[in-house]
Amino acid sequence: MDGWQKKHLLGIKDLSRQEIEIIFELAASFKELSQREVKKAPALRGKTMINLFFESSTRTRTSFELAAKRLSADVLNFSSSSSSLSKGESLEDTIKNLEAYHPDILVIRIGYSECLHNLSRYTLASIVNAGDGNSEHPTQALLDMFTVKEIKGKLDGLSVLIVGDITHSRVARSNIFGFQKFSAHIKVCGPSTLIPYEFDKLGVEISYDFDEAIRDADVIIMLRIQKERQEISFFPSIREYVEKFALTAERIKKIKKDCIIMHPGPVNWDVEISSQLKEELHPLILKQVENGLAIRMAVLYLAGTKKRKYEDIN
Amino acid sequence: MKILIREGRIVNFDAIQNADILIHNSRIIKIGRIEEKADKEINARGKVILPGLIDMHTHLRTPGWEDREDLTTGSLAAAKGGFTTIFCMPNTSPALDNEGYLKWIIKEAERIGIVDIYPVGAITKSREGKELTEFGILKKAGCLCLSDDGDPLEDVSLLRKALEYAGMFNLLIISHCEEKKLSYTGSMTESVISSKYGMEGIPSISESIGVFRDLELARYLKVKIHLAHISTKRSLEIIKKAKEEGVRVTCETAPHYFILKVEDLEKNNFHANFKVNPPLGEEEDIEAVKEAIKEGVIDCIATDHAPHSIAEKELPFTKAPFGFIGLEFAFALSYTYLVKRKIIDLKGLVEKMSYRPANILGLKDKGYIKEGAFADLAIVDLNQTWEVNKKDIVSKSKNTPFIGYILHGLIEYTFHKGKIVYNRAVSSRL
Repeated sequence: MDGWQKKHLLGIKDLSRQEIEIIFELAASFKELSQREVKKAPALRGKTMINLFFESSTRTRTSFELAAKRLSADVLNFSSSSSSLSKGESLEDTIKNLEAYHPDILVIRIGYSECLHNLSRYTLASIVNAGDGNSEHPTQALLDMFTVKEIKGKLDGLSVLIVGDITHSRVARSNIFGFQKFSAHIKVCGPSTLIPYEFDKLGVEISYDFDEAIRDADVIIMLRIQKERQEISFFPSIREYVEKFALTAERIKKIKKDCIIMHPGPVNWDVEISSQLKEELHPLILKQVENGLAIRMAVLYLAGTKKRKYEDIN
Repeated sequence: MKILIREGRIVNFDAIQNADILIHNSRIIKIGRIEEKADKEINARGKVILPGLIDMHTHLRTPGWEDREDLTTGSLAAAKGGFTTIFCMPNTSPALDNEGYLKWIIKEAERIGIVDIYPVGAITKSREGKELTEFGILKKAGCLCLSDDGDPLEDVSLLRKALEYAGMFNLLIISHCEEKKLSYTGSMTESVISSKYGMEGIPSISESIGVFRDLELARYLKVKIHLAHISTKRSLEIIKKAKEEGVRVTCETAPHYFILKVEDLEKNNFHANFKVNPPLGEEEDIEAVKEAIKEGVIDCIATDHAPHSIAEKELPFTKAPFGFIGLEFAFALSYTYLVKRKIIDLKGLVEKMSYRPANILGLKDKGYIKEGAFADLAIVDLNQTWEVNKKDIVSKSKNTPFIGYILHGLIEYTFHKGKIVYNRAVSSRL
């Protein structure tokens, strides 16, 4: 694909606006493919993709798996808990072992922020980040942006509001880096204990008042509250969180008429979003899932058509 | 055995003189114009001669992790870096908390015979922060200072007792200042960069709150205290004020705190070789450290030499252990980044890396080149530049962020008590 130079997709922060547009263009055509009777293209025939998941995930993993299969790649799923790594098995060993199968693409999900660049030295395959620690989840942001673009017809200059646990959200970070490339105005909203230190220096506006912030948003991304993060308590109770930051039937009355509400899923109903809104919001969230498949096909296509070359190893 | 070092430029903290040095056995017996014949002569024309460097803060990983470093490789690394006296921290396995371990280390170091190794005794048994060790017995075994190192006493009342009790034996308490509840499981300085990359941050106040707590105790009890590896602007402001008010505090920093900053993590894709505790700070911290070195708020430069295995440092950044090796580069790094850049002069550097540490720890006949002193010397060619190269490292571990750095100042010879323990021409590729 002209204009695509990247071997890996490690994060949105490394992509240019033009590269994001290339992905969208491809995703649009792959989306169309998935609506046909025969949902398969030979684009990645003979290529091998390995899904390497060190954190459990069903939705992202299956989305990548199906995307690869629709493009005729061979798929291997490899899951390993992060805990086995801490017992002395090294990431390096795992990657080198898989390298013996000569994979073309490694899709990796891992609990450690910013570790993929260092791992890329151990493989000739293209690495696609399926979520690394709290750092990035690029395909999620791409599908979010793609969905917005589909509905709004454009991405430029939108007001994007991201609500919830920003500190521990790779989805928030990838979306911020992505939307910023389209001159969006980004506002994050959540408990003050879950907004990262000096976050405004990234060009992001910070709000603790959802009721106020909700009014002028063109796009609202509701984040999942990770209940497993409660090891240090960042807020006193779910009840108080809901009171201040949940999207409720009451609050939704204040949104702009054409505001898009998204969620990376799975939703904790009655935590970040009231289940009263399920009927209204679920269709769009499922549309995100559908677009996720198209985006991942596009990303795998770009990654898979990069040659395995020794010169690429740094 | 007599050794004559001819025509060197002798640099003490307070004066520079061009003279010959005559060594007899372990001591310097004459300085000046020397006609006498010796068993061996070394021409030091064009080179500087420094008092052997003294590192107040080294980790030798012995006993327990001898695959990372042992007393021999640690000694060799020290000698290569111009050090003749090093203090090893007690965070070993088991911890250096009784006279048996201390005596064993001192004996082993004597047997190896490369540098003097002084073990730093643990303040509390097993470094658990619960019960004090036997300070008096440790002192008798050769201990000069005490520290629980990376696990500072959480119990302030116990730290108070330790400071009071140590004073009775004239033992120095070395404190690693860190409020662990704040640093928690962070791996880098909390900053816009940690926020951008989703890394758990260590707020800089976790150091300065520790500093403030310890200095309040020292002030109140009127005892002395030494603070390890100070890295932040705010800590230095607090220390400066305390010093002005007469608190008996001394402190050290390490070369990485005046060279590297948090942006270097980003530039190096968060490789664990850049992970250290206290973490690399912001530009303003580097500037403050340099200023404090210049003003004398920082008394000495230590290495915080912290060997780690390759596998440990290949772990993801957030998972890998903290620390850099430093013995082999500390002088050249300091010379390059402080003296060449005119922050301090060479005499000032000798003060920070030899005279002051000797003075703080009460080391007799060390830290100053004079007749009668131990012949602990480093002969350095300041005109040489060299590249930090993994294959030249003699420490067992290779974890340094400075690979590829071009540095000024090359150690040519190191003398320990009159014995040549390092000779670049024969013992190294450099």
